Amino acid sequence: MHRDGFSLRTEAVEKWDWLRADVGVLQGFRVAARCLSQFFQSLTAITPFLLVAIQATTTVAQTATQPAPKAVEFFEKQIRPVLVEHCYECHSATANELEGGLMLDNRAAMEKGGDNGKIVVVGKPDSSRLLTAIRYQDENLQMPPAGKLSDAVLADFEQWIRTGAIDPRDGPAPPPPDSIEARAKKHWAFVPPTKAERPSIAHGSWPTTDIDYLVLARLEASGIAPSPVADSRTLVRRLYYDLTGLPPTFEALTQFEANAAPDAYEQLVDQLLDSRQFGERWARHWLDISRFGDTKGYVFTDDRNYPNAFKYRDWVINAFNADMPFDQFIKYQLAADQLAEGDDRSHLAAVGYLTLGRRFINNTHDIIDDRIDVVFRGLMGLTVGCSRCHDHKYDPLSTRDYYGMYGMFASSEEKQEDDLPLRLVDKQNPQEVGIFLRGNPGNRGDRAPRQYLSFFAGEQAEPFKTGSGRLELADLIAARDNPLTARVFVNRVWGHLFGNALVRTPSDFGLRSDTPPHRDVLDHLAVTFMEDNWSVKRSIRRIVTSSVYRQSSEIRAEAVARDPENLLLWRAERRRLDFEAMRDSILAAGGQLDRTVGGESVQIANQSPSKRRTLYAFIDRQNLPGLFRTFDFASPDTHSPQRPETIVPQQALYLMNNGFVQDAAQAVVGRVDAADIGQRVGQLYRLVLAREATPDELQLATRFIETDNPSTDIPPGSPWQFGYGSFDAEAELVSFHPLPHFADNSWQGGPERPDPKLGWVILNDSGGHAGNDQEHIAIRRWSARSDGAVTVRGKLEHPSENGDGVRARIVSSREGLLGEWIAQHNTVDTHTMTLSVEQGDTLDFLTDCRENPSHDSFQWRVTIRQVEGADNQATGEWKSQSGFHGPEPEPLGPWQRLAQTLMLTNEFIFVD
Amino acid sequence: MLSRRELLTRSGMGIGALALSQLVPEFASAAAPGNPLLPKQPHFPAKAKHVIHLFMNGGPSQVDTFDPKPELQKRAGESLSDGNLKTERPTGALFASPYKFSKYGESGIEVSDIFPHVAECVDEMAIIRSMHADVPNHEPSLLLMNCGDARLIRPSVGSWLTYGLGTENQNLPAFVAMCPGGYPIQESQNWQAGFLPGIYQGTHVDTKHTQIEKLIENIKNDRVGRTEQRQQLDLLSALNQRHLEARQNEAQLESRIQSFELAYRMQMEASDAFDVSRETQHTLDMYGEGTQARQILIARRLVERGVRYVQVWHGEGQPWDSHDDIEVNHRRLAKQCDQAIGALIKDLRQRGLLDQTLILWGGEFGRTPVVEMPKKGSNQGKINGRDHNHWGFTVWMAGGGVKGGYVHGATDEFGFKAVEDRVHVHDLHATLLKLMGFDHEKLTYRYAGRDFRLTDVHGNVVDAVIA
Repeated sequence: MHRDGFSLRTEAVEKWDWLRADVGVLQGFRVAARCLSQFFQSLTAITPFLLVAIQATTTVAQTATQPAPKAVEFFEKQIRPVLVEHCYECHSATANELEGGLMLDNRAAMEKGGDNGKIVVVGKPDSSRLLTAIRYQDENLQMPPAGKLSDAVLADFEQWIRTGAIDPRDGPAPPPPDSIEARAKKHWAFVPPTKAERPSIAHGSWPTTDIDYLVLARLEASGIAPSPVADSRTLVRRLYYDLTGLPPTFEALTQFEANAAPDAYEQLVDQLLDSRQFGERWARHWLDISRFGDTKGYVFTDDRNYPNAFKYRDWVINAFNADMPFDQFIKYQLAADQLAEGDDRSHLAAVGYLTLGRRFINNTHDIIDDRIDVVFRGLMGLTVGCSRCHDHKYDPLSTRDYYGMYGMFASSEEKQEDDLPLRLVDKQNPQEVGIFLRGNPGNRGDRAPRQYLSFFAGEQAEPFKTGSGRLELADLIAARDNPLTARVFVNRVWGHLFGNALVRTPSDFGLRSDTPPHRDVLDHLAVTFMEDNWSVKRSIRRIVTSSVYRQSSEIRAEAVARDPENLLLWRAERRRLDFEAMRDSILAAGGQLDRTVGGESVQIANQSPSKRRTLYAFIDRQNLPGLFRTFDFASPDTHSPQRPETIVPQQALYLMNNGFVQDAAQAVVGRVDAADIGQRVGQLYRLVLAREATPDELQLATRFIETDNPSTDIPPGSPWQFGYGSFDAEAELVSFHPLPHFADNSWQGGPERPDPKLGWVILNDSGGHAGNDQEHIAIRRWSARSDGAVTVRGKLEHPSENGDGVRARIVSSREGLLGEWIAQHNTVDTHTMTLSVEQGDTLDFLTDCRENPSHDSFQWRVTIRQVEGADNQATGEWKSQSGFHGPEPEPLGPWQRLAQTLMLTNEFIFVD
Repeated sequence: MLSRRELLTRSGMGIGALALSQLVPEFASAAAPGNPLLPKQPHFPAKAKHVIHLFMNGGPSQVDTFDPKPELQKRAGESLSDGNLKTERPTGALFASPYKFSKYGESGIEVSDIFPHVAECVDEMAIIRSMHADVPNHEPSLLLMNCGDARLIRPSVGSWLTYGLGTENQNLPAFVAMCPGGYPIQESQNWQAGFLPGIYQGTHVDTKHTQIEKLIENIKNDRVGRTEQRQQLDLLSALNQRHLEARQNEAQLESRIQSFELAYRMQMEASDAFDVSRETQHTLDMYGEGTQARQILIARRLVERGVRYVQVWHGEGQPWDSHDDIEVNHRRLAKQCDQAIGALIKDLRQRGLLDQTLILWGGEFGRTPVVEMPKKGSNQGKINGRDHNHWGFTVWMAGGGVKGGYVHGATDEFGFKAVEDRVHVHDLHATLLKLMGFDHEKLTYRYAGRDFRLTDVHGNVVDAVIA
């Protein structure tokens, strides 16, 4: 079958040979066809408009030329809709990119034809190239490319041409649309950013920084006042989360409020920028961009882990903490191998940016595609990946550009060293590759030179000279005159600080990204970022010290009326903590947070989750634990421009029921040392919410604590207990003592076997070992959770060939001894009759050694079934094996439940 | 009928959120933002509201199940004159089905004797005998069948549908993928959300387990009793209310307040939904014994409660992958699920749920009508099994507006290749979306600069299977 290693390997080899040989072809066509779907999607958007426009001109046309009404009707019903639906996308004045110089907008345009001449010979369908194309008669001229039209439509066109090609659409041929190239030259994001003049404004006292003037000018022009500054507690909390991803402590807030210095806020900003937690917070943002993961995704037989992936993560943390200039940050990540100097290997991990993506079962084309994507969407906001099969439909990006980059990556090879994540180094003989026609690796066109994107290279375009060219590419991306790199990054920074980025498509700055309302703010930040030697910290400082950042997040009705989406930035946005900040805050409240920086990744979704910051979590991209997804963690599969922010009950379930949160609540209470209820509540509030409780809240909390009655509910936890004791045969009573030690999945007397005091008595999931005497009988106890009738079925086995076997007895606390069995080198059934139990009753399963206390290992699996009615319908079932468990967590007391509740509040999870 | 209040709580829309949307018109379009799973209308009215996808992973053989081939039986042992179509492994002569086919129902459609219970429902089923896919390998074919693309990271069908429709019961996951024993191959990619928000990802449930806390994460609390938890949530609600009032009502705050109440109810609802012991003995008997019976019955309980998409995998790995001993293996596998699948169709019919529940049965591809040749390490040299076959295979649908008692398309005389009314996996997806009320070309999501859809640029609706 399939799970043995050998067959897997055999299959793997065959499989991918097959894929290379055949799927490549198929895939090429499929991918090629895919992008055409864009035609139709945008077409559906423009069609209604076109129809209206067309109808408006029709009347004029008819009066001018007076064609036969029937012929006009035929054209309107049979021909024009087809042109609109299947042709205008590429052949009209509204085309995104006009193909073949051919426009079909009106009669004049159709008569003129395209670059290759006329397309209609009136009266002669078979001589009309329009017909040749739509009939798919010429392999090189098949229109529309997405699929042949129906025979009925073909017949209509034939009839239309044969009967005179009557076209009522008068007027001169419209001017052709601008080419993508022409529009790209004017596109706001492709023009280098400049700093705007400081505008004049009315409310001179509001602005603090240059960007405030720009924001305020636009707000004033729209008649919206900016919001007042947030209160200091709110502002400081916001700042802490934004810069460090952690909450301020009560003490830190108090200290800040006590600082009377006029630049107290700026001091705090600097303090936080200097903290090590800053690098951790901002590294995680960057790891979303670089689709970081510790594993390769689905693998066949390989090891699924990436060795040393965490070293890339740590490199990013250190880079942010050291305020590495962002241009250098880019260069290391694309070409550290070519920048390393002497023995300094500290930057070699940086190429993890390229190498730590999904492996696509080692399909080279897909791996390179992923790398091209992470480079260009990540750094320049360009969807170069769309040019894998044909030239980009909207942006000035060609397959030649794509395969130039492909050649660059194909000229690099991977290198795995013991102490580093997977690296790239240049191959000895770098090579160009032929363009994959329609993305099909089996069908190559002209060679694509390894060089920078031609539109952006302009007239200086020339092939890379050094090695694969990765370093040259890095230099060009990180160049001062690159119009995109600085803008794309500061836009991301803005998004992290405001909740919404200025350009709402942070990884697509192409022609379809509209000029953002605050373009001048973006440009100002981009220019000053570069002027500041690409200092990320200074850029962040510039933003968080602005008045626009410091605004309150409160909603004002009059402003909502004018700008409901807050596009003009008249207030701050209230934000939900992301997964990392939330989990770190929970740990911080209980004083549990391990603040170690860097190191190997840790497990956070298992039974004993790590107390380290969440960014150190092991990211297994193939089996990412549900916890991550529940809280909108960035998918590690591909570059992630922004995270969704959902609110779903699974999040609440985690916070209510997960042991991690409960342990944290317990830890919080462990930090409370006052005796008085009111004082204790006060301490809890300071620890969890970093503020004093209000009198009203104090009252609520006090009532919560005081009205806590021992529950009459079904106690939580397992009905099974594991112990030892004796049996009074006269009274039919069991004395039960819990076994004190749990190890190796067994309950026993102590760490050693046998335990010096309790001897050999052991219980595990399937059985155990009887004790040494009648005072140490192994007892598995089950407690009824409700009233009803139960039956017990079981099997007792004594597997040893030696000794005198074991004796099993079942004793009910209500009815006494229910049965007694002996197993000696054999297996016996241990069934009971139906008996009734009330909530709290126990059934004890005793196993003793008989006379001889050696060779007394036993298996005893029992199933208790609750039954109802005459036909004994099962309504509940407990199995000794699946019900077996180790030490049970302690129930949470009222204080812990109060602490947990505070961590569940909206106040805890939202940042105003 | 549901009361208005029940409707609101079931649909996850708090009273507060509604009130807010009336008070502040700007928020009307975004009532209870943050919950992307609220029920939504499809493009056009449709009968089917839920899907149960019975996934026979590994690839069941069509010529041994729903595509009888007398010519194959007659000419068993002969070699094909034009040679065999290329599949994953070397194959040999025509290999007769070891099973007998009989006619069932008014339609008289023939079904193999390893599916007697399913066969009784043949008048409810549209059997597509002309399916084809792209390659004869499990990984790409699983991804194609589930996500519409053989290799790239793309959302699964269930994710698309929950994205498009939301879900009717906020107290349960919208998209459940049940697989006893662990994962099929390609693992969680089979129910991935891809570039859609993670919340549309399928929730994997290992139906090997019977205890609810092992089936759904964080559904039980072993340290706080129900009464105490209620007290906690009451306190939470009071605290959140004060917080809300001090901040102007804002929808996302309200939405999170509601989410705790939903979670509280989910604890009970999920425990109930997955507990088949609450069924009558009659129903239990109808579905039969074993894991398949239990999980297929759970599937019914889930759609009954409004879950949008339920995928039921036969088992971990690739159970239907009978490269050898096909006679024994296919019979065993069919026996495990036949009775329960038949019961599912009848049960849904009796409960009036069949019309709104679309059942899809099939694998990622089918198997060859020719025998697989022995190869070291791959099939133990038995020469009694079949290789993967993407050239032609069978799936069937039932309920949800599907035309019953209908056979669509055909394979060649031996059942190797789909030749008549061929239906590609993309076409199946287009059809499935149509049955659910969507134009497959218009259910799109913008990502990385373009609008994506399940069927990419492909897909033709097979109108013939729609009633």
